Amino acid sequence: MTWLVWRQHRIQFLVGAALLAAFAVLIVITGAQVADQYHTAQAACAAGHGCQHPGGLFLGSHAIGFLIISTLGAPALVGLFVGAPLVAAEAEAGTTQFAWMQSITRKRWLTVKIGWMLLAAAVWGGVISALVTWWEGPNNAEQLNVFDPGRFDIMGIVPVAYSLFAVALGIAAGTLLRRTLPAIAVTLAGFIAVRTLIALLLRPHYMSAVTVFYKVTSGFTPAGSYWQLAQGVVGPNGQQLAQPNNINYIDGVPASSLPGACTQVSRGAFTPPASCTQALSHFRAFLTYQPADRYWTFQGIETGIFLILAAALIAVTAVTLLRRDA
Amino acid sequence: MISFRVDGHSVVPPYLQIVQQVRQALRMGVLDVGDQLPTVREVVSATAINPNTVLKAYRDLEREGLVEARVGHGTFVKSRPPGPPPGTHTRLGRSLASWVRDARDAGLDDESIESLLRVTLRAPAEEEIA
Amino acid sequence: MNPIQEAPGRALPGPAAIETSGLTKRYGKVTALSGCTVSVPEGRICALIGPNGAGKTTLLRLLAGLSRPTAGQASVNGSTPRQDPAFLADIGYLAQEIPLYRRMSAADHIRVGAHLNPRWDAESVRERLTGLKIPLDRAVGKLSGGQRAQVALALILAKRPRLLLLDEPVAALDPLARRNFLGLLADAVAAGGLTVVLSSHLVADLERVCDHLIMLASSRVQLCGDIEDLLAEHQILTGPRKDTTALERSHRVVQVTRTPRQTTMLVRLNGPVIDPAFEASDVSLEELVLGYMGQDADPALARLTTVGEEQ
Repeated sequence: MTWLVWRQHRIQFLVGAALLAAFAVLIVITGAQVADQYHTAQAACAAGHGCQHPGGLFLGSHAIGFLIISTLGAPALVGLFVGAPLVAAEAEAGTTQFAWMQSITRKRWLTVKIGWMLLAAAVWGGVISALVTWWEGPNNAEQLNVFDPGRFDIMGIVPVAYSLFAVALGIAAGTLLRRTLPAIAVTLAGFIAVRTLIALLLRPHYMSAVTVFYKVTSGFTPAGSYWQLAQGVVGPNGQQLAQPNNINYIDGVPASSLPGACTQVSRGAFTPPASCTQALSHFRAFLTYQPADRYWTFQGIETGIFLILAAALIAVTAVTLLRRDA
Repeated sequence: MISFRVDGHSVVPPYLQIVQQVRQALRMGVLDVGDQLPTVREVVSATAINPNTVLKAYRDLEREGLVEARVGHGTFVKSRPPGPPPGTHTRLGRSLASWVRDARDAGLDDESIESLLRVTLRAPAEEEIA
Repeated sequence: MNPIQEAPGRALPGPAAIETSGLTKRYGKVTALSGCTVSVPEGRICALIGPNGAGKTTLLRLLAGLSRPTAGQASVNGSTPRQDPAFLADIGYLAQEIPLYRRMSAADHIRVGAHLNPRWDAESVRERLTGLKIPLDRAVGKLSGGQRAQVALALILAKRPRLLLLDEPVAALDPLARRNFLGLLADAVAAGGLTVVLSSHLVADLERVCDHLIMLASSRVQLCGDIEDLLAEHQILTGPRKDTTALERSHRVVQVTRTPRQTTMLVRLNGPVIDPAFEASDVSLEELVLGYMGQDADPALARLTTVGEEQ
């Protein structure tokens, strides 16, 4: 049966392997350059030759950077081109009649096919994620943004779970619809919908966010790669202030809410009058965020969610196929 | 080795066609005592008829005493059907061929020749009854 | 599994290869097969005849275990059809569409079979196909319909099944290909240990190679039995146009045709025919089949059988 799976899917496998190889070569070569750039800048900074604030430096070429960002869609590919046709193409061509008349049960046929495709999906997601995470190492260290949406999704372990989910979704769609093209469409729509919903609506709430209040005159930056969810200023009555774009602010407070003395404040060069300081003390700033040390917990939770979804889809596939008339 | 032809449209049932073809082959000398008949599988592959049909034919021939089945070896001709020796058939066949030529030269078509033959075949029996 | 011995004595009827009782299949409100009770002894080549929609494919799929019955039981090779490697190894089912992997060659299919079946005679496939001059290395999708059918049959036979279920396997073949196919089938049965059920519209083919018959019409069984016995049990009675109630009471009338002067009846005999006004003649398989299909006979079927059958 494994031989049959290979023989039927060897072109898909070879194309996938070639794409991974090409991607890997590109990433490894350019990534080595990026690392080089980074270490040079760090060394210059340490030696006191002037830190070209590496935080502002985007390391690496824009083209590769774009490619990296586009790996956001990589898990979907395995769902569309490997998952959706798996059962659907055979149902359309009628070749399931052939396979199921060899001395092999439908259960075994399905198990071996799905098993190999899940493995392929995991490898696909895992290899791409590993390469991306390695390449982005310097950028991550400088910009501390791994927890941000968009970057969270392409590094770490979640791409593996996304790939498994995508392929399971594709297989389920193909089994239920029995036609390849509609299955591909449904898989794409479903993948985008679920990923978007979970990333936007669920992820911020995996754990209760931390909210810190601080004086508007001081600053507050959490350590490491934290994920900022919300920030703002709260007035004397406890209500959050609106912060429209077209007015003046002093330390985050609209100038219109402050005594005239404050407008002459130019930070760093002038000691503000006592009336200004007094007025400002009635306002507080806040930051709602997920701390950096929760990064791997969040990766784990999201991975778990997508693995459960994948398992449920596989179960639906199995029940549908094994109960249905051949 | 004899090869059989089974006509699906004939009024003669297939097994009987085989029996008749074996008898005819024996009369004509195409098959001789001791020759092996084609195996059931050979006949069936060539004619696409049911194996039991061939078995039935061979059993009938065996009952008539013309062939004998040797288990594990096949079916072999045991004796010839009663009648004139093969040479007679060949001789008569030749003279029939020349008569047919005469008939055709005289302008008879095949249908007329066949009906003339049928009438002639029937005539002696009727004379005997009468 | 003895090959048919070339020895005296009629082949004794063995245990039934197929035995069904009240087999029924419904899809929602549609009844595809109703109360089907048939029996096919081992070693037979059984014809499954009936108009389109009569339930032939449904019956074959139920026997192969490809679908589950709504009611009734079936026993195939001694057990209920189910998803079990041992059961699957003993049957071969060929769907009308000849499902093969179009982009794989015959040789590839042989390798698939070797991996997926406990008994596999790869050599027999190669021999047969080479004998028919069918290339083993060409993608099966590029072969002609007749060649594909031959490949599919050879592959099924390589499994060494005990029962073959073939759904209209020769429908798309030219007369020569049909002859080769049926010859291959008959040879496999002659080699022993094989029962065949094959559905087809072409009565002439079936008459040659089959010795058993199941006839379906309107999703029900009309006839089931040895062809010889069935033909012996039926006769065509021709006679003047007159009252036939007495006859109809003693025998089962299958079909009656009346012209102003003549009555022709196809009857299933229940004892001898006593009415001297009627002349009895033997019935051919084709007449028998058409007689039973009379009620919902498709006009196209009248043309069915005598398609250029050469010797």
